[in-house]
Amino acid sequence: MIPVDLADYTGSFSEYTELRVQENRSLNVSLVNGDVMSNSVSTVSGVSARTCSSGFWGFASSPLIDDESIRGVIAASTRNSRFLSSREKRDGSPLPSRPGSCSIDFSTGKPRLSQKDIIRFMKDIDAMIRDRYGRIASRTLSLQLLDMEKSLVTSDGSSGYTMIPRSILYVSMSTERDGEPVQLMDVHGGRGQFEDVFSGSEELGSKLEELYGQLMRKAEGVHPETGIKECILDADLAGILSHEAIGHTTEADIVRGGSVAGDYIDMQVASSLVTLVDFASEALGETCPVPVYMDDEGTVAEDAVIIEDGILRRFLHNKESAAFFRATPTGNARAYRFSDEPIIRMRNTAILPGKSKLEDMIGSVDDGYYLMKPSNGQADSTSEFMFGVVQGYEIKKGRLGRAIRDTTISGVAFDMLKTVTAVSDDMKWSCSGMCGKKQAIPVGMGGPAVKCMMNIGGK
Amino acid sequence: MKDRADVAAFSLEALKKAGLEKSECTLRYARRDELNLDSGEISLLRTTDDVSLAMTGIVNDSEGSISINKTDRESISDAAARTLEMAVSSEPDAANDISPNQPVREFEKGPEAPDLDLMYERMRGFLEFTREKYPSLILEQVILDFTRVSKYYMNSNGVDLRSRRGWYSFTPMFTSKEGRETSSFNYAGVSMSDLAEDLRKCGTIDTLMSQSTEQVRSMEFSGKFMGDIIITPDCLDDFIQLTCMYLSDYPMIKGTSIFRDSLDSRIADPCLTIRCMPLSEKMASTYFLTDDGFAAENSTIIEKGILKSFLLSLYGSNKTGKARALNSGGAFVVEPGEQSLEDIVSSVKRGVMLCRFSGGMPSEGGDFSGVAKNSYYIEDGRIRYPVKEIMISGNIRSLLMNIRGVSRESVNFGYSILPWVRAGEVAVFGK
Repeated sequence: MIPVDLADYTGSFSEYTELRVQENRSLNVSLVNGDVMSNSVSTVSGVSARTCSSGFWGFASSPLIDDESIRGVIAASTRNSRFLSSREKRDGSPLPSRPGSCSIDFSTGKPRLSQKDIIRFMKDIDAMIRDRYGRIASRTLSLQLLDMEKSLVTSDGSSGYTMIPRSILYVSMSTERDGEPVQLMDVHGGRGQFEDVFSGSEELGSKLEELYGQLMRKAEGVHPETGIKECILDADLAGILSHEAIGHTTEADIVRGGSVAGDYIDMQVASSLVTLVDFASEALGETCPVPVYMDDEGTVAEDAVIIEDGILRRFLHNKESAAFFRATPTGNARAYRFSDEPIIRMRNTAILPGKSKLEDMIGSVDDGYYLMKPSNGQADSTSEFMFGVVQGYEIKKGRLGRAIRDTTISGVAFDMLKTVTAVSDDMKWSCSGMCGKKQAIPVGMGGPAVKCMMNIGGK
Repeated sequence: MKDRADVAAFSLEALKKAGLEKSECTLRYARRDELNLDSGEISLLRTTDDVSLAMTGIVNDSEGSISINKTDRESISDAAARTLEMAVSSEPDAANDISPNQPVREFEKGPEAPDLDLMYERMRGFLEFTREKYPSLILEQVILDFTRVSKYYMNSNGVDLRSRRGWYSFTPMFTSKEGRETSSFNYAGVSMSDLAEDLRKCGTIDTLMSQSTEQVRSMEFSGKFMGDIIITPDCLDDFIQLTCMYLSDYPMIKGTSIFRDSLDSRIADPCLTIRCMPLSEKMASTYFLTDDGFAAENSTIIEKGILKSFLLSLYGSNKTGKARALNSGGAFVVEPGEQSLEDIVSSVKRGVMLCRFSGGMPSEGGDFSGVAKNSYYIEDGRIRYPVKEIMISGNIRSLLMNIRGVSRESVNFGYSILPWVRAGEVAVFGK
């Protein structure tokens, strides 16, 4: 548990200042073919201060959390900002302020399980795979738990405490076809500590069955045809599309860096079926996978509607970019470790559900693909994107056909979104996302299924 | 405790007292001074101190590891007790081990402290240069930093290895924009021991910025063909990393690596030689200690097309029965070839100069596909125009076997030294 009240140190602030104490606790257990290949825990904590002097920022951090260190990072941060402000000139217009306070703790109320219990959980799942599925050449399980605990105080009057945990289990199975390995992975878990997220290994039985079935179909699968095809992107792919291809291009620092989104504000960038929101803490009546109540600049977090009925409405801001664009900050400045400065990040980004049924959407495609699971994704300032696809099916005359092997899809988001002709009425969140912009950080991505035209990379 | 080595020694003793039969600890102190330029303006000076103490213990062949960033006696003793708890909670595996006794070694490289005033001067000079020479180029984010790391590795077999390293890194990221025409973003990274040279002259930075300004007029390409790609030094590191992925612990232990039975066999054209050179004096940001407690040595991964080494850790080696890698990978040096880059380009009938690759994770079978970014179309031996929205696909195994030339020119990035490499039989397709 980290110190919660940093109010005593506000008297040491001489410039605009944020003071944050943070502890990240992580656990990683990996099993490869039943052997424990990784069994580790990590605790990383410390204090940081960020200061703004005449429009220039200073930052300093220390792993020690005591009175001397806290005062030391405040002084070092101030020194750094003044190093720059004494050499450079800039319009140091005041930063917008939306202060508040919060105290949020998602710690479990249940008794904590021991490391032995957790490894037993993993071994039981591994044994289920080994005993039930004969054609598995290798199996990998990886459990990654992360608790992020933060205390924050700012010179403009914000203070907050949050403890946001996440528990993710990756299950991967491989088989062989003609001597070549074929792999498929599934991800389970989400917000919360292990005890609140997983109740027992047996609950995953049906999901393992499904993964094995999908893998067997993939092993018999074909490479997709290259070229532009009519596709149904399932929720996981719609989520990564929302995050990578649209979300990043609308982050205000990327906009200032030349993103095409800078030219499109209040313009039609998508089909009118598309509304895309970066949710803060709640979406459609549910707590988000990565809830943010107050960001690391002390701004009270609220939802940011990026695209509304196909019109680009706003960018995502920290205080500095909000001042530049004369916009309201919505709590998108986030830092991963105590030693990271807050930068503009998404939180939980999703296209809102529409009115179509997934079955009808598939039924309406004559010759195309149903693309289900991504591996990784990247996007560009032009909004051109690329996603790896590791699970999908052909659609022939409105019916699912053969599975496809690993491929890549690409397109220009602000072109591709205009080809959206249907959005399904359901919604799924992907809870395992880690965004890699400068610092890795957990993000939520989600959405319904989307019907659109997409460029498929085959063989 | 008097000094940092005492902290490492105390940690090892704490693990022993806790009851662990075999134990090791890695203590790492890092300080980083980082000057940031955002949206075309110098914006942030950042100073971070960090420490990490990784403690691993083995009891009855069961292993547990813990990492903390505190070095007081109480925190270390608690961590040692937790390490024991982790180990006894795990499952026995005879492959768990620590490195054997080696001579005590101490290594040093690079400056001990940054010159902050010079960092500022160099950054300001770079900013003024780009504003004047490339007015359509936007510096989205530029980071110039100095990192110094002191590392101590000790284990219960008597190993005592220490290193201190210091180096500068420079990473500009940029996009060009003319009206509503926007290039793809691009970036470069270099490491250096000092700031003697203007930043724009480091690595390929000036070339990439110049290319960026012409890439606002990139053209689409329609159709599909099988052709050559010339992988630039900026992009080659990614392809080497992809290749090395198949040589590392996870796919080798799982038995799914496409190269698992290929040691001492031909996996690439004879013109390709790849070495890992962590001890090279030519590169600024290399390393001396491996992750598994050995003094790093230089090694050859592929020699004239023959696979000479896997990239297995001590655990991976014990698990597979194959030799442990002499280092932790990286610090790649690809031997230059005999052709000039000009001759390589002129020998391409139809293909792409691949300057950046945005690709999906390759399959376990080696298939890869992705978007060719910041790249150029080549036809009849001439670079024709910058392209956009084109994809390439292939297979790592066939790519390596179809390498058709390596340039005699190389670029020293300070963390790798790489030439241009031409490979054939790659599918290229546009809209």
